[in-house]
Amino acid sequence: MSMKRPHISDHKWEQVLKSMDRREFIVTSAAAGALTMVPRFAQAAVETYRLGLLLPVTGTGANYADGGIKAVMNATAAINAKGGFLGKHPIEVNYRDTHTKPDVAAREARDVISRENVQTIVGTYSSACAMAIQEIIHERKILHLAATSNSSKIVNENFTPYTYQFCPNSKMQSGSVVVAVAEMIKKNGWKTYVTIGQDYEWGRDTQKGFVEALARKSAGTKLKKELWFKLGETEFSSYISAIMASKPDFAYGAIAGKDNRTFIRQAQAMGLFKRVAYPGGLISVTEMQQQRKSLPRGMIGLARCPFFAHLDQPLMQKYIKMHRAKHDAYPTDWACMHYDAIYGLEQAINKTGNIGTEAVKAALKGATMDTCRGKATFRDCNNQLNIPAGYVGSVWDSPDYPFPIFNPDTMIIVKAEEVWTPTCDDVRKLQKKRA
Amino acid sequence: MVLLVVGFPLVPALPGMFWTEVATEILILGLFAMSFNLIYGYMGQISFGHAAFFGLGAYGTAILFRELSGGTGAITMGQFFVALSVGPPVAALGALVVGFFCVRLTGIYFAILTLAFGELLFYVVFSWYTFTGGDDGIQRLLPPPFFRDATAYYYLTLVIVFGAAAVMWRITRSPFGYVLRNMRENQLRTRFLGIDVRRYMLVNFVIAGAFAGMAGALWGPFTRSVGPLLLGWQESGIAVFMTLIGGAGYFAGPAIGSIIYTFLQAYVTGFTVYWPLTIGTVILLIVLFSPGGLLAVFDAKVGFRLGRTPIAPGETPNGEAETGAAVTAETKAGS
Amino acid sequence: MLLDPGVIFGQLLGGLSRAMILFLLSSGLSLTFGVMNILNFAHATLWLLGGYITFSIFSYFGEFLGENGWVLVLAIVLGTSIMVGVGYLIERFLIRRMYGRELPEQLLLTFALILIIGDLIKLVWGVEDRSIFLPIEPLEMLDTYVNPYYFVIVATGTAVAAGLWWFLQKTRYGMIVRAAVYSRDMVSALGIRIPLIYAGVFALGIGIAAFAAGVFLPLMPMALGVDIDLIIQCFAVVVIGGFGSILGTFVASVIVGVVYSFSILIWPDGALAVVFLIVIAVLIWRPWGLFGTELRY
Repeated sequence: MSMKRPHISDHKWEQVLKSMDRREFIVTSAAAGALTMVPRFAQAAVETYRLGLLLPVTGTGANYADGGIKAVMNATAAINAKGGFLGKHPIEVNYRDTHTKPDVAAREARDVISRENVQTIVGTYSSACAMAIQEIIHERKILHLAATSNSSKIVNENFTPYTYQFCPNSKMQSGSVVVAVAEMIKKNGWKTYVTIGQDYEWGRDTQKGFVEALARKSAGTKLKKELWFKLGETEFSSYISAIMASKPDFAYGAIAGKDNRTFIRQAQAMGLFKRVAYPGGLISVTEMQQQRKSLPRGMIGLARCPFFAHLDQPLMQKYIKMHRAKHDAYPTDWACMHYDAIYGLEQAINKTGNIGTEAVKAALKGATMDTCRGKATFRDCNNQLNIPAGYVGSVWDSPDYPFPIFNPDTMIIVKAEEVWTPTCDDVRKLQKKRA
Repeated sequence: MVLLVVGFPLVPALPGMFWTEVATEILILGLFAMSFNLIYGYMGQISFGHAAFFGLGAYGTAILFRELSGGTGAITMGQFFVALSVGPPVAALGALVVGFFCVRLTGIYFAILTLAFGELLFYVVFSWYTFTGGDDGIQRLLPPPFFRDATAYYYLTLVIVFGAAAVMWRITRSPFGYVLRNMRENQLRTRFLGIDVRRYMLVNFVIAGAFAGMAGALWGPFTRSVGPLLLGWQESGIAVFMTLIGGAGYFAGPAIGSIIYTFLQAYVTGFTVYWPLTIGTVILLIVLFSPGGLLAVFDAKVGFRLGRTPIAPGETPNGEAETGAAVTAETKAGS
Repeated sequence: MLLDPGVIFGQLLGGLSRAMILFLLSSGLSLTFGVMNILNFAHATLWLLGGYITFSIFSYFGEFLGENGWVLVLAIVLGTSIMVGVGYLIERFLIRRMYGRELPEQLLLTFALILIIGDLIKLVWGVEDRSIFLPIEPLEMLDTYVNPYYFVIVATGTAVAAGLWWFLQKTRYGMIVRAAVYSRDMVSALGIRIPLIYAGVFALGIGIAAFAAGVFLPLMPMALGVDIDLIIQCFAVVVIGGFGSILGTFVASVIVGVVYSFSILIWPDGALAVVFLIVIAVLIWRPWGLFGTELRY
């Protein structure tokens, strides 16, 4: 019964990653199956650092998660090339597919903790999944680095001192859109708007953040209608014509992933953007690359961690080089944020000089670190990194890349402090006590 | 059967918490699958909405849990058991309403109506943000300190699941259980015997729903959170898979199926992301080559007696292998 | 606002577009069940596979022929043909073994196919979404903009419906298929080779689905997991229309599409719930569906 399952250490990861893209699954799993039978004496000598990576490659989140998986593998491989954390603790990544389902995420979190003894979990994609695993990591005292899932509840309502947020949370993101939109409202005399969002945690939270922030900034602007669609919707025409039917001055979309692509495509073909402005929808580097032909030029979008905004940062330069060498492509927002998470962990470990979870947690607390997005500090009350809250820009054909980016001349980078929950007292009021 | 009863209490003796947690999952999902088999194996109808009752039980417990603990997760022992005990009645109530309509139909129509109700309930839970938490689900279902320990929670689950299984066993061996089997074989003939078929179906549907709710009630505090997907049709599919893998023709079939399914999942997901492909292939092979489930194979080939409790009435010593295959005969008998 | 002709027209067209995808997917499902008594859970997954294959053919030829509408037509023709072959093989080697087996086992087999095909897509195409881009210019009419491609879709869907109707009503093979919906035994007693009819119907159903995937490619990215959401809506359509009835499937698609579309305008949160309420009402009131035959029930 006590059979030992194979661990995926970094060289094996190459194969797993490949098999996720390509056809080497049979070979990989056969090899892995064979490994099960081999007792692992060799590993006893070194103390490895075990990392759990929870991201989906099944279901609707797979499209974004891909970048995060690649970045974690690249970053850990680079660290392992130097002998691992502190030069002596090689990192072993235990990857699990969350299927974008909270109960699967919770089970896999339990699995990597109880079976693989991971000390840190990186992930997940979906905010609902992140909240499900927060219950488990808090109880088991495991570090949790959130690098994609960004509902503000993760750091506010559902806060645990073990979670560190490397991604601007949804309230910060919509807050930064509001900064840009408020300008446009003034300029264009807009009065009414409509929202459309994905009916799940992130979509709801993002929309709410936008509506609340806009009410504070521009009280006269009226919300005419809220539309919600089920995750994975394929037919938006009814929603699009419902938006047009409301005749708003602009529409705000809280849409991510594959649905975002479908929505933009269908809205474009239905002429929504000719009639209604659509500022601030999520347009990350993933969208820019995958929809390089179809993305409407001049559309105002929001990115989370676009590489082209930080070309002056040495760490970003380093990562772009690494990513391009391995994958022959530019890193997506999701890749950059995951790289920051791993690199942030390394800096904390270097600072404290050991890999004990509580020590690393203490070192991360309020820490200032180098990231792809410049120097950033964790906020004391909720462990939110104060990286830029949002990048709002206009889709523009760049001579330097085979895909459009945001026009650097007009891109607005909003500081975290401008838009996050104003004071730590406010944050603490939101945070619910844990038993 | 004997092996199961002896083996399960010993699981926590294995090194590490992991196997204890897997075994807890096996027990809870096993109970869920066994409750499903009351409808499928005994009554001869396939429900694709059975997870709705699993989910209703889970949410019934979770919501009361949340209210009692004021959202912090701090709950006393007494409150914890009150919350747990609310799952089955909530699920049974749901099953009563859904079943009232569903028992009017049989075969594919029954399957699709249960599916439609399941999706409807999923949608209600998914949309009702203020009460169910919508897509977020409900977090902080932290059992009282004593049961936070994996081993303690495991034994709690063990006692409840084995108790529930014993009650179900008793039910299937009662005159009521034999009427169900009769209905499975031939509804029309059962009706001619003066038996109110619909009433029997409804009662059984509610009983199955209640046991699914019991499983659901245990699930929330085990995972520390619940989400609306617990009610979805894919979750229903898991009960169907487990039952089929183990053998619908046997009382212990779904439990065996749960052991195999959950164990395989824990093993396979450790090294490949292709779990769906793996389980899909297993199911395909079982459907094609051993339609009665694995217990039927044991029974026929080895004459193995483990868990051998064929549920068809008047079984003959050599007819057991076919029992599994014939278990859902006459789905269209009601026409 | 609700009575604005532009609004009604927009919602109607959106609803019809949804109706067409539902119809093209459900017609095969309905025929397969009506004739073969097999409910194919994997139908939408095969639709997805057809979409990925058509995408690959489109990109392959697009490289040197340019990515335009004609290449899409070519890709649809080839993709559909391949999927007809795939459908035939699945019937021949898997489904055929299931005739005479119990309904739950048939369901399980197709359920397993969802998992297997879904992962095979992941193996071959990876996790990235796939879609093609055709420059479509919106059309201004009735004080609103519409997507002209919807007219193509509605026309195509209606043409397929008409073609199927003609095939079933007017041709010899169609009559055999219809007869098989009522009584397989009788058809077989007339000396007609039932297995051939079955393989044909199954392949036809998959072919229509693959065709639909191709037609919708410019509007709908192919992505993992889409099939799971669609199949349940297709079941709803088939149940409402009645198993085996093409007319019923068509009417039910339009009902579901249009009801869904207007629900979004009036009660956006409840759009899907409304669809399931209709299904439940139909199943309780007349389980054989609006246009199905009571004989089969």
